[in-house]
Amino acid sequence: MIQLSYLDYIAVEKKSFLHRLSPKLKIIGMVVILFLIVTVRNLPGLFSLYILLLILYFTAKVPLRIFPLTLYPLIFAVLFIFLSGFQIFFILLILSKVLCGSTGVVLLLATTPYPSIFSALGRVLPSSFVIALFLTYRSIFILLTVLEDTQHALYLRGGIQWKHPWRSLINISNAFGHLIIQGIDASEKMYESMVLRGFKGKIHYRGE
Amino acid sequence: MSHIHLPDGVLPFWLWASGFIGVILIWTILLRSIKKEDLTRRLPLLGMMAAVMVLGASVEIVPIAYHVNLTVISGILLGPSLIFLATFVVNTILALFGHGGITVIGLNTVTLSIEGVLGYFLFQIFWKVLKSLTPAVFLATFVALLCSTFAMIGVVSLGTSHYEELIRQEKGKGIIGFDFGKEKEAHPSGPAAEEKVNLRRFIAIIVPLGFIGWVLEGVITTLIARYIRRLRPDLLRLEKESS
Repeated sequence: MIQLSYLDYIAVEKKSFLHRLSPKLKIIGMVVILFLIVTVRNLPGLFSLYILLLILYFTAKVPLRIFPLTLYPLIFAVLFIFLSGFQIFFILLILSKVLCGSTGVVLLLATTPYPSIFSALGRVLPSSFVIALFLTYRSIFILLTVLEDTQHALYLRGGIQWKHPWRSLINISNAFGHLIIQGIDASEKMYESMVLRGFKGKIHYRGE
Repeated sequence: MSHIHLPDGVLPFWLWASGFIGVILIWTILLRSIKKEDLTRRLPLLGMMAAVMVLGASVEIVPIAYHVNLTVISGILLGPSLIFLATFVVNTILALFGHGGITVIGLNTVTLSIEGVLGYFLFQIFWKVLKSLTPAVFLATFVALLCSTFAMIGVVSLGTSHYEELIRQEKGKGIIGFDFGKEKEAHPSGPAAEEKVNLRRFIAIIVPLGFIGWVLEGVITTLIARYIRRLRPDLLRLEKESS
């Protein structure tokens, strides 16, 4: 999640054909990818889709540094292998669907600034939901700043050590508690400043 | 553990579509029951708590594929209505990072909000009965997580025939029918048994891992609640505190 700010940075700063493409088109592309993931039930089809996504990934000049993000969901997918009686086809089917989905999503986020995504979603989804999405995304960045400071404090108190599990648990919990309290304080300030700027339950986006 | 970390395309259409329909219905009912001004005022708080849950979900305990959800503490702080809205937002954001499929957002929201809503009500009950924060929060978290994990297992089991269909489909074609492990020895009933989805094994893996997670999250949530009580007791709204 720490890579979120970097993801946001490359979505804004990088210039490739995929970055220049309209967010609407990219969201439609993502829906098509999802449709294919849901409907395609053969491995060659899914592998082809994955290769296509990889080609897009590298031609869009998305840095390799965030590539591990596309592999992260495999950790959870492993649990579902046990459902199948270790059928290799089922395993490969699940893994390829996971990889296609995560690569597509990372590609979308790495080439489209989030206000553009939320703005496009705002045309089809309820405004309260889109505002909540926007505020959550904004809050993640606020909390990441708090987390950076908290990490220093955590480090000074012994940090997280497997040798001292109880102390580590206390430190993690205090860090989260601190994050929650700071977050709630920040949300109150955020609401006040939003009201001062004329917020009446709707966020207006400037053009793409 | 209550998350359905299934990718897109594994659950049957009727199942994930009903998840979305259920969530949209509940969302609509909640929006009509909450005053608009109230919701507008609390949206930044909802966003902030959702962000805390997203950050919690990013702290992965890799050996047991577990991450803290912080849904119960968020439920206690936000209340039952807002926690539902928050879990929908959290699941959407997590799906945007490949953390669970996009089509399972609805089902994930249902299971995760069971955790948050149950956590809130259980905490209220345990607090009234026990009058002590530590056991009240721990028990509320433990039971809420247990229920949501079994809700997740229930959802996964609903798709059993669909998984079997996926396995049989390839067996019929005979393209890649190779299977490893000692399934034939473990289940001597023949090849038909191999095509069946082994839900018992799935439960046998999920429940012990989940148990570690429930205890871990119970302890973390309790310590967070104690930290909050020390610094901002007003957030927990514990007017009838005995101590």
